[in-house]
Amino acid sequence: MNSPIVGKAVPQVTALEKIQGRAIYTGDLKQPGMLHAKVLRGPYPHARIVRIDTSQAVALPGVKAVVTGADTPTRLWGVAHKQQRILATGKVRFAGEEVAAVAAISEDIARDALDLIEIEYEELPALLDPARALEAEAPQVHDGHDNRVKEIRIARGDVEAGFAAADLVHEATYELHSQYPGYMEPMATLASVDGNGRLTVWTSTQSVFLARARLAEALDRPVSSIRVIQAMVGGGFGGKIVEERSSLIAAFLATRVNRPVRLVNNRLEDFQSGCFSVPCRLWLKMGMTKDGTITAKDVRILANSGAYAGLAPEVMLVTAMRSDNMHRLENVRSAADLVYTNTMPRGAFRGFGGTQMAFALNSHLSVMADKLGLDPFEVHRRNAIRAGETSVHGWQFGSTGLRECLDQVQAGIGWEAKRRRPKDTGVRQRGLGMAAAMHVSGNRTLGNWDGSTVVLRVNEDGRAFIASGESDMGQGANTMMAQICADELGIPLSHVTVLPPDTDTSPFALGSLASRVTINGGKAVLQAAQQAKTQILDAASGLLGCPADDLEIDQGVVRSRTKSNATAALPQVCRYHVFRHGGEGILVRATYDPPTKMMDADHYGNIAPGYSFAAQAVEVEVDTETGQVTLLNSCLADDCGKAINPMAVHGQTNGAAVQAIGWALYEHLQFEDGRLANGNFADYTMPTADSVPHLQASIVESNEPNGPLGAKGASETAILPGAPAIANAIEDAIGVRITELPITPEKILAGLRAKREGGHA
Amino acid sequence: MRDFDFLKPATLAEAIAMRSSLGEEACLFAGGTALLLGMRQRLVNPKTVIALGGLADLRAIAFDSQHGLRVGALARHTDLARSPELRTHTPMLAHMAARMANPQVRNQGTLGGNLCYADPATDPPTALMALRASVVLAGPDGERTLAIEDFLVDYYATALGASEILKEIRVPPPAPGSRGIYVRHLRTAAEHRPVANLALVVERKGAVCTRARLVVGAATAVPCIAAKAGEYLTGKTVTLEVAAEAGRRLAQEITPISDLRGDGAFRRAIVGVIAKRAVAEAFGLDWKGAQA
Amino acid sequence: MSKHVINVTVNGEAHAVEVPAKRLLADFLRDDLLLTGTKRGCETGTCGACSVLIDGEVVKSCLNLAVQADGRSVTTVEGLGQGTNLHPLQTSFMEQGGLQCGYCTPGFLMAAHDLLSRNPSPSEEEIREGLSGNLCRCTGYQGIVDSVKNAAEKMHGR
Ligand SMILES: Cc1cc2nc3c(=O)[nH]c(=O)nc-3n(C[C@H](O)[C@H](O)[C@H](O)COP(=O)(O)OP(=O)(O)OC[C@H]3O[C@@H](n4cnc5c(N)ncnc54)[C@H](O)[C@@H]3O)c2cc1C
Repeated sequence: MNSPIVGKAVPQVTALEKIQGRAIYTGDLKQPGMLHAKVLRGPYPHARIVRIDTSQAVALPGVKAVVTGADTPTRLWGVAHKQQRILATGKVRFAGEEVAAVAAISEDIARDALDLIEIEYEELPALLDPARALEAEAPQVHDGHDNRVKEIRIARGDVEAGFAAADLVHEATYELHSQYPGYMEPMATLASVDGNGRLTVWTSTQSVFLARARLAEALDRPVSSIRVIQAMVGGGFGGKIVEERSSLIAAFLATRVNRPVRLVNNRLEDFQSGCFSVPCRLWLKMGMTKDGTITAKDVRILANSGAYAGLAPEVMLVTAMRSDNMHRLENVRSAADLVYTNTMPRGAFRGFGGTQMAFALNSHLSVMADKLGLDPFEVHRRNAIRAGETSVHGWQFGSTGLRECLDQVQAGIGWEAKRRRPKDTGVRQRGLGMAAAMHVSGNRTLGNWDGSTVVLRVNEDGRAFIASGESDMGQGANTMMAQICADELGIPLSHVTVLPPDTDTSPFALGSLASRVTINGGKAVLQAAQQAKTQILDAASGLLGCPADDLEIDQGVVRSRTKSNATAALPQVCRYHVFRHGGEGILVRATYDPPTKMMDADHYGNIAPGYSFAAQAVEVEVDTETGQVTLLNSCLADDCGKAINPMAVHGQTNGAAVQAIGWALYEHLQFEDGRLANGNFADYTMPTADSVPHLQASIVESNEPNGPLGAKGASETAILPGAPAIANAIEDAIGVRITELPITPEKILAGLRAKREGGHA
Repeated sequence: MRDFDFLKPATLAEAIAMRSSLGEEACLFAGGTALLLGMRQRLVNPKTVIALGGLADLRAIAFDSQHGLRVGALARHTDLARSPELRTHTPMLAHMAARMANPQVRNQGTLGGNLCYADPATDPPTALMALRASVVLAGPDGERTLAIEDFLVDYYATALGASEILKEIRVPPPAPGSRGIYVRHLRTAAEHRPVANLALVVERKGAVCTRARLVVGAATAVPCIAAKAGEYLTGKTVTLEVAAEAGRRLAQEITPISDLRGDGAFRRAIVGVIAKRAVAEAFGLDWKGAQA
Repeated sequence: MSKHVINVTVNGEAHAVEVPAKRLLADFLRDDLLLTGTKRGCETGTCGACSVLIDGEVVKSCLNLAVQADGRSVTTVEGLGQGTNLHPLQTSFMEQGGLQCGYCTPGFLMAAHDLLSRNPSPSEEEIREGLSGNLCRCTGYQGIVDSVKNAAEKMHGR
């Protein structure tokens, strides 16, 4: 195909409004009569709510509503586990849990009212340490249930035989900590009930339809009585999919006051109510032959779900088995347990459980390669799964760019030459490390459908509207869809408008999760555009008197391939499509549901239409006296199948690299007695521009047969290799293996001390 | 934030009069960068804010060789960083001011506000103490001058009287040939505040240290002079080993604080290292190549 | 409590507006003048999404009271350029991948403006330091750094 737009680094279709400061996010919206909401949170990790007195708050002038758990619908909401009400009732299960909410004529008054709500708590023993969760005498987070959320047991092949066949068996335990998504736009919602009782909710979400489903459940009202509209979204990273709670509170308040209610989290509130990645302790044992072939892998995981289940069970499943699929493994075993604790709920986060295992696996492979005198790149290459193969868990690979990713980053960082240089002996020592990982593009997991529907209209002026429920939260989904559509229809990019997701008008969709939007949504756009094009050419055929297959669209003009004077501008054709007997505007619909399977009860089955790969190599410098780790270089290659927009892919790759650097080195949630002690950006320190190096991002185009024009997901894969690559580079630099994240200066210094003392012993 | 009255005196005398009459309920407000953080979280709830922004005289920076440097309390960090006087006569201070916090805070936060807030995790107090700075406090009964060590009393506490205003910071002229080095240590590159810092002013004859003043900050509740390390260095021919020993002594003589940014043991270790490095640098020694 | 009439020029337009003393400059711009391009992302002065210029210098509007802007000139992202009259920084941010979700973008544009006004051809390191008061979670900063470099070149006619 002649592709003037696909494959080009065009600016995001949302860029113009964003650089003028005119993009409208939820917190920018205002409506006549709008009230402001604030939420009161429980201060204890575990406490019984003995008494709530809201009378003084209600009496405060300007306050229009004060609600507590008792006011909320009794129907429980949740992803798979239905266990929450909109506000806590009976007891609070984590410090920061929402207990009461106020709507008032100003934010200050709402905030004042919170101080006037009296709550008496009876503190209960709190379960803070997941390692204690399954002990008999551990406090119960949910009365009448033990603290186990989920148990996963997977075994394939013969693990013991695999270990017996190995020349080297290595085991280690890793501690993987929780990360805050840190999107720059704190969660915000504006909710309003109209005169007919319908509820409209503008919110910052990765999925309007999942938001609607959650609202319907929590508010206990029909889905069709709710309209969810996505405003511009200031980042999501998994935290704005289905576990987010503040939109429910805003919507509930709106139903109580019959006035629009806006609830905008400040950063502290966002930390308290946000969604964090799932922390876990991971024990890993692997066997390898001398040539680097992996013979067996055995994993045990204890993961912390926090107070509620949310998506954490799904996340842990990914940790337990996803990485197995990137290598040709035969003997694997996973035993994973997810437990409740009295800490904030954990769940979806970019990488969706992959980061945790990628850290352990790549740390392990690096250690084992060293012990066997092999290069870790070679170990990955030797075991890498190939296109056309089926993995141990039944995943079928139409494309695999793993080996190309490895080649690119190995060359990009200058691996060979740098590995050969003499080791630094001074105060600051450099080292090299690498890691590789895979991720899904799509996932048939939310039910037996992973499809995407696009409704495409081509207007009388020859310009197109795309209606899709998939969401752009900054990653560029709208741009990707517009590019594919523009190319297929032969019109300029500026002639395509992607409408904001709106549950009243957009076709049903799952939204931005599981890196599914390019591969599934993009494919639906392509198919819709192909249909529209056929209709246009058919109409033009009537208009021009040429056979349709002699026609093409180029730069907005339909022209004959053979007759040079037979041309019609698109507006002319599109008007002709309407203004004739039996005519109509061009309106097509396409659904692409990929040829995938849901996992069976044994977690087997080809769940995704495509699988993405990434590899990263980094060079670090460790200050052996201060424990500071400085990243000098990073080279990250992302196999996205086909880069619909290389600039967008680079942006995703670089953003992922830095989020991984944050997880590995800088970000560290700290708790005091179960309370988050650093829930602000001054103390929870995300990477800044001057704390990361110049980044190299490169692209591998493995051409996914299921993808639109060969494309599959980018970005989530790219967050996976960063942390282990850094840990591996640190070991290369100073001979200290860090298995517990984050890699703090204290741990580096302690490691060096232990090494010195070990050396003397 | 809670409501408050906002007053904007036009002169220092007026400001002092307002402060005297309003007492504890009023709060001075310079750039507001520190105060607004507290006010927005309702940790600080003044009934009245006395904004000093109109006192243009308090912004000036001047140097004369007899009295040294005089910096108005309202000079912003940016003003210090760009001041030709500072860059010429106390480059250490200009360098410090150019690197602390971030551009936005430097464009607004004042030196006076920094000192009066007495947040331990800051940079200027350490540098100023090493330079033997003093502060001029203006009150209803006139002015008094305090050495900065006497002004900074404790964690978030100063000797500022209830009706006083910090007017000026003075730094005596540097001893001829003296050299200052300021090290701001961030726990990681992404941190915003120093976990420890160190300022060193040395005088030397060749490789021999004739006088040394080392001050540690951020690792301690208030900056403290490491007198023993200074004494140790005095008269020594400075080698890397001497620098390291000075660092070890200094680490032992401070009482470090522990908080989320780092515990006492960590801070002790860090100040020892940064002191060693500062001393080495002052004597042109390369600490980077030394065996770890 | 106390209210004040402030005279402030915002994006070249003079305003005399009565505000309560406690009104933050960020809220004044967003809620009173309806200039919502200036964003709020934290309460600790760390994220920089609310950055604006006061008398040409970048500050955080969440660390300023509106009354502090009395008699001064404020520039927000809306004043940087609009429509077909965009600032080179704005076009560079579009073309070089300087933005994704866009929430931090106005703040970065203002910080970059301050940087380039003092240092017309900054090195990559200087750009990174000049932007150290702003957080971005999407881009990994590389696209932003490239954009600022590119704008600097454009502004020099190179
Ligand atoms: C995001 C951020 C990062 C920072 N990072 C650093 C850093 O890395 N290093 C560092 O050193 N500092 C740092 N700071 C702190 C910064 O230095 C101070 O906030 C600033 O200097 C305070 O000055 P101000 O004029 O804004 O003070 P204000 O907030 O106006 O006042 C602070 C206090 O001083 C009092 N006060 C002010 N002026 C006077 C006066 N003339 N006489 C008597 N009392 C007075 C006020 O009453 C108030 O109690 C940071 C601050 C922020 C917000």
